[in-house]
Amino acid sequence: MNTKLLQQLCLAMCVLASSVINAQQQDFDAVTIEALQVRDNIYMLVGSGGNITVQVGEDGVLMVDTQYAPLSEKIIAKIRELSDGPLRYIINTHHHGDHTGGNANLRATGSTVVGGNVGGDITDAGAGAQIIAHENAMLHMIAPPEGQEAAPSEALPTLTYFNDKRDMWFNGEGIRVIHEPNAHTDGDSIVYFRQSDVIATGDVYVTGLYPFIDIASGGSIQGVIAAANNIIDLIIPVYGQDGGTLVIPGHGRLSDMGDVINWREMLTIIRDRVQDMIDRGLTLEEVQAARPTRDYDPRWGADTGFWTTTAFVAAVYQNLSTPQEGSL
Amino acid sequence: MAKFMRSAALSFCAVLGCLSAWTVQAEKNLAGVWSGTYAEDWPDRFPGPELGDYAGLPLNDADRLRAQSWSASLIALPEYQCRVHPADYANSFADIRIWEERDPITEVLIALHLQHFAWQTRRTIWMDGREHPPEYALHTSMGFSTGNWDGHVLTVHTTHLKEGWLRRNGVARSDQATVTEHFIRHDDILSWTVVVNDPTYLEEPFIRNRDYRYNIDGQIANYPCVSVIEMVREPGYIPHHLPGDNEDLMFFARNHQVPVAAAMGGAATMYPEYMQVLKTLPKPEAGN
Amino acid sequence: MNKLFKFLIFAPFAACLVNPTLAADAPLSAREAAPHDLTGFWVAVVTEDWRYRMMTAPAGDFQGLPLNPRAQEIANAWNPEADTAAGLACKAYGAGGLMRIPTRLNITWANADVLSIETDAGKQTRLLKFGSAQDQVGAGSLQGVSAARWDVQREGRFGPVVNGTLNVQTTAMQPGYFRRNGVPYSEEATMQEYFEMVTEANGDQYLIVISVLEDPVYLTQTVMTSTNFKKESDGSKWNPSDCVAQ
Repeated sequence: MNTKLLQQLCLAMCVLASSVINAQQQDFDAVTIEALQVRDNIYMLVGSGGNITVQVGEDGVLMVDTQYAPLSEKIIAKIRELSDGPLRYIINTHHHGDHTGGNANLRATGSTVVGGNVGGDITDAGAGAQIIAHENAMLHMIAPPEGQEAAPSEALPTLTYFNDKRDMWFNGEGIRVIHEPNAHTDGDSIVYFRQSDVIATGDVYVTGLYPFIDIASGGSIQGVIAAANNIIDLIIPVYGQDGGTLVIPGHGRLSDMGDVINWREMLTIIRDRVQDMIDRGLTLEEVQAARPTRDYDPRWGADTGFWTTTAFVAAVYQNLSTPQEGSL
Repeated sequence: MAKFMRSAALSFCAVLGCLSAWTVQAEKNLAGVWSGTYAEDWPDRFPGPELGDYAGLPLNDADRLRAQSWSASLIALPEYQCRVHPADYANSFADIRIWEERDPITEVLIALHLQHFAWQTRRTIWMDGREHPPEYALHTSMGFSTGNWDGHVLTVHTTHLKEGWLRRNGVARSDQATVTEHFIRHDDILSWTVVVNDPTYLEEPFIRNRDYRYNIDGQIANYPCVSVIEMVREPGYIPHHLPGDNEDLMFFARNHQVPVAAAMGGAATMYPEYMQVLKTLPKPEAGN
Repeated sequence: MNKLFKFLIFAPFAACLVNPTLAADAPLSAREAAPHDLTGFWVAVVTEDWRYRMMTAPAGDFQGLPLNPRAQEIANAWNPEADTAAGLACKAYGAGGLMRIPTRLNITWANADVLSIETDAGKQTRLLKFGSAQDQVGAGSLQGVSAARWDVQREGRFGPVVNGTLNVQTTAMQPGYFRRNGVPYSEEATMQEYFEMVTEANGDQYLIVISVLEDPVYLTQTVMTSTNFKKESDGSKWNPSDCVAQ
């Protein structure tokens, strides 16, 4: 691998690692958890870290992702405004700390139901909520890349799947947990609430920055684009590109088809440009100098922070230059 | 006595009538069907803007590349076929209908509703002082609009717009934009001014007007749109031009002998002094 | 007693018909009655009809305009060199088309009841005359005769002014072009204009000139346009230039 490229990607990973550490040191006292009602029984919680999806109903509460541990009390308090039912399930969209940091705390407040079509060891009953995730997400939490801490055992998923999906029924609707391979990471899941017609995407779709492609965890630009296309296939709008199926991104605002289409369009065009430059033999430095993202930078780019435009372009170049095993 | 009481009652009613006449409403009634007039920008609005025509738009370099990369084949994709014109562009052609929503008890104006013939889109302008949603709420093609009367001028502020366009030849308007509009009625004419503030893609605010005439017999037809597969493509295919690869960019410049630099737009092209610059710029060869 | 009763009963009604404030003061001049201050320098913001305004389209390019056959014939035959040679280079700078020329405006009060609009493009002056200042001076000229009034909106009938429009009717114009490439209006044309001022949240002020041109000789319908000008802080960019026919 090109040394300069390796340096750029390592820098990005170190910044990510430090951001996880720094998250612990943020002033979480200043964070408020806001709830936006998405459908009758589906809410989006925003605070610090990834968005949380909450489904409430007669069966209890289901969450998608848990943000940071120091925010757990505030998150629980907000959920209690929405429902006094027990927390039964947590679904992790992937392993990153801004989505799983609260796993241990939130799990402990819940309880598992065993019986009927709800599987699990009988000893799980009363042992806290089930945490569902793709197997790769769990593996990353157990053995993270160098520089990151392993998750404590009580934060680990208790129920994993390794194929393309896992189905469940909760609060009167089917819920499909769908694996999106080698996208943001290699352990991504999107969660489709079929009756509510809501999709929680985790970080395979965000609205504020270029997608963070965690190459060390198996992420790829092709996978992020494939995930966007899969999400679009699931969406049925009311008319044109508005309304209908609603999409809760990993970070950012509530979305629908038009937003995901714009995201897909942006990524596809950037991918095509970088691929064209690679095909013409340009080095990474030459690609960076050509600024293949400059029409999208004012909207999606960043010059500072943990995920910059430079890091994004480097990741795309890396993906397209050296296809990964199992990637598209 | 009876005569006195009748006279007193008459005078009292007259005073009441005068008092109500004193409270002359500055606000205008915008309700009705309005037919678009097209003495301005007809080629842009009806046949559609030509490829490579960004003249008079204060777009920045980023937006210019967006426009230069755009391919009209995008509209052939099923998911784009019924994409509606956003609220700040939908007034570019065809008729509209406006109606009021009032509290049935107090007659206080709650909202104005506006329906465009084009793509049969409907928007609401809230007149009851409500707040705009939080920044993480859904963005839509029509956005979220609130309005207030400034005398006879209805001023409307719109946020939460989905990404749209300033011109339908690829000139993007981002989802970070906010829009201010002024609706001004005089007798049977309506002037609708749109000011777009886009920190992502514009060097300066962009102002544009559309004019209407009241249509006493007007009806808005429905506008069905159904997506179909026009061409079989690979899943996820997005037509676009690579940078520097768009041979159609010269279409407008060659067709009308407009210097290419002017055709590529920018804030400077909006102002009178640019006419002196135009004289110094080379014109392209004629032809398409 | 009956007469006294009648007076007491009907006096309030009579009072309704009289504005007590007007009874006390002399009539205001147009300058004093102005609902907002239009004076100063304004610059055209040309975002529409760009190639018809910033450049001059070729003869015969009048898409979207309701011209009758006679007008089309004239427009198709437009010859700017001939206009220049005949001393008619300013034909597009008459009142019927002046506001569509990319220009700066310098708006001042010529006197208390006459508002002056000068343009640097073409060095033209329009005089908008209010009330008793209205006359027929200028009839048959490029700028014709403009009769102006303020249409104001108040809180209630006698409350403070909340907004207003400069309403201008222009007649008696010399034949001219309302689009630079020879699209004609006749001496029988009349023009109704509404000058509106709006202020944006960022402090920008715009003057929106809504114009309705009627011409029984050349137009099958009225021509309606809205033209935008932005307020400038001073006249440092004022740049007078002669009329050009093309």
